[in-house]
Amino acid sequence: MDLGYSESEQMIKTTAREFLERECPKSLVRAMEEDDTGYPRELWQRMAGLGWMGLIFPEEYGGSNDTFLALVLLIEEMGRALLPGPFIATVVCGGLPILYYGSEAQKEEYLPKIAAGDIVLTQAFIAPDLPTTRPEVEEMVVVKDGSYILSGVKLFAPYAHIADCLVYSSRVTEEDTLFLVDAKQSEVKSSVLPSIGSDKQCEVVLNNMPVSETNVLGKKGQGQEIIGKIGEWGSLAQCGFILGELERVLEMTVEYAKQRVQFNKPIGSFQSIQHQCADMVMDIDTTKFLTYQAAWKLSQQVPATKEISLAKARASDASKRVCLLGVKVHGGIGIMEDHDMSLYYRKAKAGEIAFGDGDFHREIVAQQLDL
Amino acid sequence: MDFAFSPEERKFKQEVDQFLIGEKETVIEARKELDSGTGFGSYVWDLLRKLGSRGWLCPTWPKEYGGLDLPHIYRYILTEEIDYYIGNLITVGAGMAGPVVLARGSDQQKNEYLPRIARGEIDFALGYTEPQAGSDVASLEIRAEDKGDYFLMNGQKMFNTRCHYAQYHWLGARTRVTEKKHQGISLFIVDFKTPGISLSPLWTVGGMRTNQVFYDNVQVPKDCLVGEANRGFYYIMEALDYERIFPSSGIRRDFQELVDYVKRIGKGKDPLVRQKLAELAIDIECANLFALRTAWILNNKRIPTYEPGIGKILRTETEHRLANTALQIFGHYGQLNKDSKWASLDGLFEWKYRDTLEYIIAGGTSEILRNVTAQRGLGLPRG
Repeated sequence: MDLGYSESEQMIKTTAREFLERECPKSLVRAMEEDDTGYPRELWQRMAGLGWMGLIFPEEYGGSNDTFLALVLLIEEMGRALLPGPFIATVVCGGLPILYYGSEAQKEEYLPKIAAGDIVLTQAFIAPDLPTTRPEVEEMVVVKDGSYILSGVKLFAPYAHIADCLVYSSRVTEEDTLFLVDAKQSEVKSSVLPSIGSDKQCEVVLNNMPVSETNVLGKKGQGQEIIGKIGEWGSLAQCGFILGELERVLEMTVEYAKQRVQFNKPIGSFQSIQHQCADMVMDIDTTKFLTYQAAWKLSQQVPATKEISLAKARASDASKRVCLLGVKVHGGIGIMEDHDMSLYYRKAKAGEIAFGDGDFHREIVAQQLDL
Repeated sequence: MDFAFSPEERKFKQEVDQFLIGEKETVIEARKELDSGTGFGSYVWDLLRKLGSRGWLCPTWPKEYGGLDLPHIYRYILTEEIDYYIGNLITVGAGMAGPVVLARGSDQQKNEYLPRIARGEIDFALGYTEPQAGSDVASLEIRAEDKGDYFLMNGQKMFNTRCHYAQYHWLGARTRVTEKKHQGISLFIVDFKTPGISLSPLWTVGGMRTNQVFYDNVQVPKDCLVGEANRGFYYIMEALDYERIFPSSGIRRDFQELVDYVKRIGKGKDPLVRQKLAELAIDIECANLFALRTAWILNNKRIPTYEPGIGKILRTETEHRLANTALQIFGHYGQLNKDSKWASLDGLFEWKYRDTLEYIIAGGTSEILRNVTAQRGLGLPRG
């Protein structure tokens, strides 16, 4: 039993924090919201140089074979800095399913390039289901000469507009199958969805896109299983990102409460403010250890479905509660568009929804309770 | 980071588990005594002595005083095991008074009290609260006048729960009237057999007995003073920090009972019920992780600041929320008590809904602990 960071875990956190404090100021975060690509390409390459993209992959694929827990600690620092970019999409939602379900050829093709920071991957699973808005292309799979021709629309695919490869799901004879789709072909069109977090989630349209048999990820019909795993990994990674965001929100809020004077006293001396800050601590600390516990369990190569959903349900709810309290303590200044507090407030909503919100994960917990 | 218990720790847990299963009858009767609200009866004392004879009441204490010199993680394991089968049975002697005696008491006090606490032979009643001193402990007024060869005590205590079955009063009394109220309080160990002490019972809404205590010209020997005079307030605060690990396995047991019952009455597929139960499962795990974290901090010989306080909030509020959620799920039937044949789970949660209020208030209210978290954990200024 050791609930402290090991030396190497501490090293990851310290290095990442120093690097991101220097290289990822809020001015960059804001600039990337306006930027078309939405991520700093040059910084991405330097992060790859630090070994971040390959952290969790085996050495034979250019990685350093570290644990999921180490990855979560790194992502926690990214959340703290609000680092924009397709890190979770590429490494967790693209790289990990290839590592665990991909063919040897796929692993050799993609993983070293991911580790080197040369390619961006993203997931494209979520089919539109709004009766009021018709997708421009109908979902369709044609099997022809042992290869597939895919058409369809997927939503909320992070950074698909600059991605090299999509982990794309489609129904082949009633069963979901995953494909690794070359996103640079003209049959693939991605456009950025304007959203609360300005985080480049995209609509992806495939129009008669040919995909060869060798680009099926896992087995035919194994799509749901792999998507489930990606959902777990993604949830846990997102917990780390949320945790980092909330820790920074608390720091900012406490700093502000100490220096802001009203009624001739720092507002942090008032019990109403103190209790709100204490509630933030409770939400953050519980999110933290639920997240670490789940990541530790996953690092032991044992199933952690319940622990992950315990963590993401709490992280999602904590995310909105902590940010709202942060805004309230800041008062008027906290709702200014150019204040960091409102930046965190917007980004946190996207994190809350990503990979399932509190209600979604509580339902998984209920299943795990045999209900 | 490593969330796994070591093989020795797992073995220890198993050993405790086997012991409690082996003592099934005593355990069941002891739990009945505790749940009755009247305090320790013969079965609880019997169980305490049996636990004590193994060194399991005070496992972290030095061997010379009846402990086992073990790390705090063992106390966590014991607390969780005992909570699961009986309830939060920790004595005031083991949890609050003993550690202060160990840190601040005279050699004579250590030899006189610690081994008996560790053997499960005696307990203390906390004597802090007064009619005008609740959360503001420093306002206590009961007087202890230094009369040369004894202290003369006069005044009144309120909500001092264990007085009718403990042997000693762990008493905070005023030894000096100063402008700074907290600099005039001293701690005493007072034998309840001392002439001039009388009790008047008070009953909580949960059916638990607590007491008013009256001191009428009580003569207390000088050597009953603990540590230095006028430092009592600081000792009280220290004890709150050091020793509090709040277990969650008792809540987990009750929660499982609720989940099983919900399935039996066919409500397990109701999405609202599923959401509520899942949220409780999260809260219970959070409480558990905080207990573990506090034990780990103590294990590393560091002093927790706000963690025990949050641990208490998480345990006690989750326990209350569990009862509240159960009653919500039961609907009309939830209000029925154990005497009705229509009661759900023999009225367990109807009773818990009343009984759990005490834990939210006693030992530092949730709101006071939020103050502590803000001031000591985050460094916010005192109001």
